[in-house]
Amino acid sequence: MIVVVGLSHQTAPLAVREALAFPKDRLGEALERAREEAGLSEAMILSTCNRVEVYGRAPEPVSRHVAEFLARFHDRRLDELGSQVYQLEGDAAVRHAFRVAASLDSMVLGETQILGQVKRAYEAAEEAGSLGSVLNALRNRSLAAAKRARTETAIGRNAVSVSHVAVELARKIFGDLRDRSVLLVGAGKMSELAARQMVRGGARATVLGGRTFEKAEQLAAALGGQAAPLEALRSSMAEVDVVISGTGAPGLVVRREDVEEAQAAKRNRPLFLIDIAVPRDIEPEAARVKGVFLYDLDDLRSVAEANLRERRKEAASAEAILEEEIGAFLEWRRSLDVVPLLVELRSRADEIRRAEVDKARRRLGPLTPEQEKALDAVTSGIVNKLLHSPTVELKRMAGNRHHTEHVGLIRKLFGL
Amino acid sequence: MDSRVYLFLSLILYAVGAVHVFVHVVTRRRLLTTLTVASTLLGFAFHTAALSQRWTEEGHFPAVGLSDGASFLAWATVLVFLLVYLTTRVDALGLFAYPFVFVLVCVASLSPTSGRPDSVLRGLFLPVHTVLAVFGYGALFVAFTMGVLYLIQEHELRSRSPHRVYYVVPSLERCDTIGGRAAIGGFAFLTLAILTGFNWNMSLNGRYWTGDPKEWAAICAWLIYVVLITARYRAGWGGRRAAWLGIAGFAIVVFTFAWATLVPGVEAAAP
Repeated sequence: MIVVVGLSHQTAPLAVREALAFPKDRLGEALERAREEAGLSEAMILSTCNRVEVYGRAPEPVSRHVAEFLARFHDRRLDELGSQVYQLEGDAAVRHAFRVAASLDSMVLGETQILGQVKRAYEAAEEAGSLGSVLNALRNRSLAAAKRARTETAIGRNAVSVSHVAVELARKIFGDLRDRSVLLVGAGKMSELAARQMVRGGARATVLGGRTFEKAEQLAAALGGQAAPLEALRSSMAEVDVVISGTGAPGLVVRREDVEEAQAAKRNRPLFLIDIAVPRDIEPEAARVKGVFLYDLDDLRSVAEANLRERRKEAASAEAILEEEIGAFLEWRRSLDVVPLLVELRSRADEIRRAEVDKARRRLGPLTPEQEKALDAVTSGIVNKLLHSPTVELKRMAGNRHHTEHVGLIRKLFGL
Repeated sequence: MDSRVYLFLSLILYAVGAVHVFVHVVTRRRLLTTLTVASTLLGFAFHTAALSQRWTEEGHFPAVGLSDGASFLAWATVLVFLLVYLTTRVDALGLFAYPFVFVLVCVASLSPTSGRPDSVLRGLFLPVHTVLAVFGYGALFVAFTMGVLYLIQEHELRSRSPHRVYYVVPSLERCDTIGGRAAIGGFAFLTLAILTGFNWNMSLNGRYWTGDPKEWAAICAWLIYVVLITARYRAGWGGRRAAWLGIAGFAIVVFTFAWATLVPGVEAAAP
């Protein structure tokens, strides 16, 4: 049985998640203790800033023990955590594992980080030797399902962070960013983030610095571009496609006249002005100049929200894809269970026995009731004796971490 | 089989594409899939069969009258659309191309065929002139569509709270580039079509210019494209203004075509 026990941004505040997070250097120890103390035969721990979860496999429902372990490991008591900790078993646990990997349970729907985090968590468990066939299968299937959901729907396609939105808008205007040029006015964190992605897309960057020219030079070097003094603003703007302005200046830095002059020199080719400063750097009236697209921080946020709405609509089709994959996984899991295997093995053996008895009876002619009984007893005896040891052995290995391989082998051998 | 049957089959297959495109806008999947393209290709094959059938039925190139004219224009539009789609992968083009083609094929199947045996239609002028014209129209239709998409995308970008189309329509740059190339291609075909038209006039009437309104309309459309192309490449008139000119030019082209097919007379026999 697969169990998932933990807490996430949906159930617990940051303070609690922090307190229960597993530091990287204690992960090996935690995995070992989880197996010992909670009776798990396989274990994996996913610990990110938005969730702390223990994934495990056990022969019986042990989620309560896992939850207690989770609290004990961090010197907490389970009853004080209360309903913040969810304890999922069986199908519900599998469904949760799939949804987490596909980023449907994430704070920012469709974010891409979670896939790497889940991957690394499984790898850490593998290195610690606590990953067996079942969790390994869960890893492969849930990651494959996540990738499928991502490629077949647009759940992760549209940017939802301000700097990404800026880059995406630039692409909507200019298409390819290769050989485009970006002008950074001021060297802020967010403008750096956006510029970095544009440079990665092939754009050239120029950084204008005012009082702190050194900072501008450093950023220009990091972006593989040039630095220039703020006085060069007017002349530079006529040569660029994108301007990202994020100075700490109290007043306007770029005025409508500056933009008009630049656009006249550029013959009104598109100019994308991004104002991420508060208070604003670029005169709002500049948006009226031909060919100019002006976005301030609020505009970028409003596009990000629209993108998020788009993602939520996509989530429905992603859920449908995931349900398909979850269904396939569960069915596969059931086919590997020991109990149905034993039932099938027994009924197959009995079927063969009956068929053979019938054949013999036809050859022997009418038998007395005693002879009938004896024939039945002999054949049943052989079947039972033959199946006795496999039955015992199968039940014994039900909790074993190689049990799926064994079940598969037996199915193959007996043609089930 | 009757040419009408072929035409009807192609109509249904184009409708599959049209419905598919709109369903996919609503359901937020990719606009064009292999299925859509395959059904369009099959529809195109039936359409080609319908045209060749018409050719044998009429005894001359099947581009005379409303029915055959619309059918032939639709055929060329599908071909141009497929070529542009397969080279650029701009699926938003389908949003306009499918309804346009669907309406044209509807008109073609519902209106009666002219069936006028006429010796002037037997020469080489009819096929050469109409093929050139129709491919020109197809390319100019692409330029028109890209112009509309450009304006839509520009509006979306200025609105700052994008709607669904924002995600479907390609970047401004792409709309502009493809629209520009389509306009040049269409213009080249249109020029050749007009030249052959004049020569046809010459061989029929002994004059290059008859003063027919259709000739005026064709020249007007041609001049608009001259302005569009020179302005774009000489004065850097890209983007918005080029988009509007592309739309205006195509509007006049549609008028020319309608005139040519709806007004009877030998002169108006071909588009």
